[in-house]
Amino acid sequence: MSEKYQLPNLSKSRTVVNSATRSIVRVGGIAVIGAIVLIMAYLFWVVIPMLLPASVSLDHQFDLSTEGVLHVSSDDSFEVISLINADGSVVCHDAEDMSILDEIEVSPSHFKTVKPLYPLANTFVALTELDTLVFFQIVHRVRFLNEIRTIENQVDVLFDDSFIDVGSINDFDAFRSDEKLRVVLLNIDGSIDLHEYLNVDDAYELEEPKSTTIDAWSPSPRNVEIMIGPLGRWLFEIDVTNGDYRLINVASTRRTSVEQVGSFRLENSSFQFAEPVLGRYSFLVADDQGRVDHWILGPIGANQGLRMVRTFDYPKPIKKIILEHRRKGFLAVDHSGRGFIGHTTSAAKKRTVVSLEKVPRLIAFSPRADRLIAIHDDSIDIFRVNNKHPETSWTTLWGKVDYEGYKESAFTWQSSSADVEFEPKFSLMPLLFGSIKAAFYAMLVATPIAILGAIYTAMFMSPQMRKLIKPGIEIMAALPTVILGFIAGLWLAPLIEKHLTAIMLLLLIPPLGVLLFAYLTTLLPSRIRASLDGWFGALTVPLLVLLGWLTLANNEWFASLIFQGHGDAKTWLYEVLGVDYDQRNALIIGIAMGLAVIPIIFSIAEDAIYGVPQHLVHGSLALGATRWQTLVRVVLLTASPGIFSAIMIGMGRAVGETMIVLMATGNTPIMDFNLFQGMRTFAANIAVEMPESEVGSTHFRILFLTAFVLFLITFLLNTVAEVVRQRLRARYGNL
Amino acid sequence: METYDRLPIEPGLQRKHSVSIRRWFRSGDPWIWLSATAVGVSIVAVVGLITLIAWKGLAHFWPADVHTIEYHDEWDEYVLVGEIAQRESISRDLYQEFNPSDTELPPGSVRRWMMKTGNRKVNAPDFRWIDVHLIESKIQDPNMVVFERSEWGNAYGTIVELRESGQTIAVDDLWSELKRRVQRASSLRNTSEKLQKRSIDQINYQLERLRLQQRKRELRGNFETADLNTKQSELIQEYELHEQSLREIDEKLQRDQVVIRIANGSESIIELRDIEHLWRPNSMSFLSKFGHYVSTIWNFLTQDSREANTEGGIFPALFGTILMVILMSVLVTPFGVIAAVYLREYARQGTLVRLIRIAVNNLAGVPSIVYGVFGLGFFVYLIGGTIDDLFFEAAKPAPTFGTPGLIWASLTLALLTVPVVIVSTEEGLTRIPSALREGSLALGATKAETLFKVVMPMASPAMLTGVILAIARAAGEVAPLMLVGVVKLAPSLPIDGNFPFLHLDRKFMHLGFHIYDVGFQSPNVDAVRPLVFATALLLILIIIVLNLTAILLRNRLEARYREALQ
Repeated sequence: MSEKYQLPNLSKSRTVVNSATRSIVRVGGIAVIGAIVLIMAYLFWVVIPMLLPASVSLDHQFDLSTEGVLHVSSDDSFEVISLINADGSVVCHDAEDMSILDEIEVSPSHFKTVKPLYPLANTFVALTELDTLVFFQIVHRVRFLNEIRTIENQVDVLFDDSFIDVGSINDFDAFRSDEKLRVVLLNIDGSIDLHEYLNVDDAYELEEPKSTTIDAWSPSPRNVEIMIGPLGRWLFEIDVTNGDYRLINVASTRRTSVEQVGSFRLENSSFQFAEPVLGRYSFLVADDQGRVDHWILGPIGANQGLRMVRTFDYPKPIKKIILEHRRKGFLAVDHSGRGFIGHTTSAAKKRTVVSLEKVPRLIAFSPRADRLIAIHDDSIDIFRVNNKHPETSWTTLWGKVDYEGYKESAFTWQSSSADVEFEPKFSLMPLLFGSIKAAFYAMLVATPIAILGAIYTAMFMSPQMRKLIKPGIEIMAALPTVILGFIAGLWLAPLIEKHLTAIMLLLLIPPLGVLLFAYLTTLLPSRIRASLDGWFGALTVPLLVLLGWLTLANNEWFASLIFQGHGDAKTWLYEVLGVDYDQRNALIIGIAMGLAVIPIIFSIAEDAIYGVPQHLVHGSLALGATRWQTLVRVVLLTASPGIFSAIMIGMGRAVGETMIVLMATGNTPIMDFNLFQGMRTFAANIAVEMPESEVGSTHFRILFLTAFVLFLITFLLNTVAEVVRQRLRARYGNL
Repeated sequence: METYDRLPIEPGLQRKHSVSIRRWFRSGDPWIWLSATAVGVSIVAVVGLITLIAWKGLAHFWPADVHTIEYHDEWDEYVLVGEIAQRESISRDLYQEFNPSDTELPPGSVRRWMMKTGNRKVNAPDFRWIDVHLIESKIQDPNMVVFERSEWGNAYGTIVELRESGQTIAVDDLWSELKRRVQRASSLRNTSEKLQKRSIDQINYQLERLRLQQRKRELRGNFETADLNTKQSELIQEYELHEQSLREIDEKLQRDQVVIRIANGSESIIELRDIEHLWRPNSMSFLSKFGHYVSTIWNFLTQDSREANTEGGIFPALFGTILMVILMSVLVTPFGVIAAVYLREYARQGTLVRLIRIAVNNLAGVPSIVYGVFGLGFFVYLIGGTIDDLFFEAAKPAPTFGTPGLIWASLTLALLTVPVVIVSTEEGLTRIPSALREGSLALGATKAETLFKVVMPMASPAMLTGVILAIARAAGEVAPLMLVGVVKLAPSLPIDGNFPFLHLDRKFMHLGFHIYDVGFQSPNVDAVRPLVFATALLLILIIIVLNLTAILLRNRLEARYREALQ
């Protein structure tokens, strides 16, 4: 329809209306289509930040003598930098200009060493010159005075300003949980004293501890460092000269035991130092060749122990490794002062290089890991770090990963936990597996029923019945999936669990019964048979109901017949096949989601079969083929592309269905193709986790990624189906 | 086109009266029967499903008899009062596995009843299984009263006495006196609720607006608040007045109590203000039971839900569903129709349009949860967040539009259903013979006039079909709504008497989500299951009615073209 026609004497208003309509329709039409493109683009746009590498840039450089600084920390919003000095004081500086805000004396005697009080933030334990330990916390309180925001800096010396006398020691470490404080002291002779203080409260003095002593291990105790491990239950002893270590189980103070004795040593290079990653479930071990190994704590045989799982290679030897406070990320600094940002889980490495000019005396991440504070002898450099999503890489999303505390590498989806030190596990494989499993079983149920039904409806059914069946199937397609899911989860699942044997027999008994009935009809006079023909579908209904009911009602009889001595099918499965039966399993999904998919496959397949040109059918029949032969060799062959596209579209629906899977499985992300176990699919996972996900976090973006993957899968399946269908239409036109 | 309706019966089988099995199999007829079975299975599944839901959903409202059962088991003898909620039978083996000591079993399988015994507060658990053969006696006490309480579910018991301000009232007909007083209490309660909902909520709303106004001024550097303060103190005065009358009603409400005797023989006191309904099922005639049945269904449809959605009605969910669907159709209709008109009437038909058509078709197959994710990211956080930044600075940090809400749910579902409308409208447009368009143009009409006066009216049934199908799809969709605006319990309806009356930013309740939430998140599954069935039935009815309308319209449309073509 060309628009280039000219009408004479068109009144102005008519011209205006005409062109206005044209522009509105154009703009509106293109906008709607643009919106469709937008969906895909937007989903990808949210995912993009995960793919970007981290970046680091120098923010400020302050010339400042840092003599005597032992430790550096900052507040959450990076407004205050606190330096802990050897003279026993804490100095708080403004992060903008390094002006001194407060100078607070913690201890009259000088500090020898300062360590963070594991696992707390901004809380420290210091060893003084007088061989006492002092615990203190740096607090930054935000106050609004006359609506003006101010930060109040304060140092609380814990336990009522008490100093614990420890005598002369080589090393120490401390752990604090809600009501417990554990202090370990490495004595000069190499033995270790473990003190456990109970009923601890910040404001009150410590009670008398329960103490125990662990025998010496290293011949040269001077070279040993000690460190309390995860949850205060483990104690690491590391010989810093050769990398030998000992792991002691100190879960109970009364009975400590050596769990593992091993070494971080390598054959061709020499051990330099080991740094624990956040949570202390793992160590980063550096050698003198630029290699950093990641060792994790996990089960080895019957015991727990460290094992090496991955290696980071750097061009030059690494001198320092510092850790982020809330993620498993780290910064490795080589001897020329170049820093590499990395992450243990994702093995992301060498992605970002930051030039620090030389190895700083002290360096630390800010709590949110958005700044780096590098302290040289005469200056403090502050770097801005943009590293939002280090946890993900191609491997963590799709490959097997060695996680902390795991026996071996695994595909795991476990996105969150209450614990800050938790290592998020973002493998998409269990979810992909679950989606495929659910779709597979649903298709297993739906495909034969839908296609056989479509064949019968298109080829053999009487027109009156067809007029009823088609709208009936359309209504079936419109059944809300939330209702199917509810019935499946709350009604069908308990029913099937109780009648498992009978349900399995339903595959056998009703079809055989129908065949028997069908044969009996051949005994009828042909006139009656001819009038029945075309109503077979309706005739089977009462038969199916009867047979189905009989099978279900005699479940116990069947069970005792088949599974003699095992009680019922469930017990048999467990005792003979070793299969656990979940009440909400893939069988339920197969049936419920099959029911949701049947009408979709049915409609498209029926259209394709019904559309096969008549003269082909007539030709075949005229040549003496039976009608079943005609169907199989002529009609189905011609319609096969249409049937294929019906299956594709049905599969697309099954892969992305949410509510049925959400309600009728246990939603456990396991990788087991067993019919009697559940699964977690992409779609259900989004529905479960999206509402709790923090906007802009890695978890949030990964959920968007799963939506994007889901979109791509279905878009691909549908496009294939649509192209095949359009070709088929053209072919029918030619025939 | 339709030269045959179906394939004729096998000629080889027609002549004879009986056939050998081998011959029968060779003819292929058994396979035809099997394919017929597939249709039969589908019919059984759909009809069975709908029947199951209808039966379970409707049976829930029938006033069931309340049985008084003397029961003994291994440990004890006791009396149970309650309705039979479920019947089942289990195998003897299974029964004996758990009850090895019970040797006096009747022959056959063991029948069990689940009794709803109510009285949750005093007599936990409120559902329990009993073995039928252990029942000593079972009677139906005509004086047994069922109290539907506003908290703690049903109570079952016989009336002992009525108390007014702690004093026993001496009347002959306790039952009608009780009913009279419950009537009084419920009308008082209505007044109080009305006052709370209308007047007090309105004042709160206005106070909140005042606060926002003040904040807005502050943001502009204007600290002049005198006029606002006067308004505020006026409102607070008014509020206190209402509070006063509320307190008075409350005092009146506390007047009456009823003492009942419950199953274990002890007495229990029920405040009349807590009674929603009461009835004596055992002494009701069929007709009065039916009347009760109808009124219960009516209450179910029109009342608010109670007890975390596990009791009471579903009105807010029904209202939310319908409102959201209306908003969605208002959004989807123009866009879907314009896009279809563009594709069919204005765009040049070529490869691009073909590709677009494939894309549109594909979008109908994209999982709904993907739309939900898109809606949450794009509509809620991006657009909603921007709106908040621009216009609702004062309300921050609480988000106004930057949080899931009605408008975003409607928009997301509009996007989800727009392919349905486009495809359906296009189909209607395609069927209009081009001769009609050409005729109109030849008579001197402009293209727009042809569109509005000839093409669109003829395609209107197709558009309507599309919209109805879109509505049916939207009404049953839950997954995306969970992300963009549906909540378990909305504090207020999205439409109320406060300006601007329709609150697009509010969260709302939805029948589908109600089913998911109540069915799967409630601790007491036995108690809520019938309610979920009833909700499911309502949702199915809405969707079936919408779909049937669409099917009928389509049939009329086909008839219409036949006329136009002749």
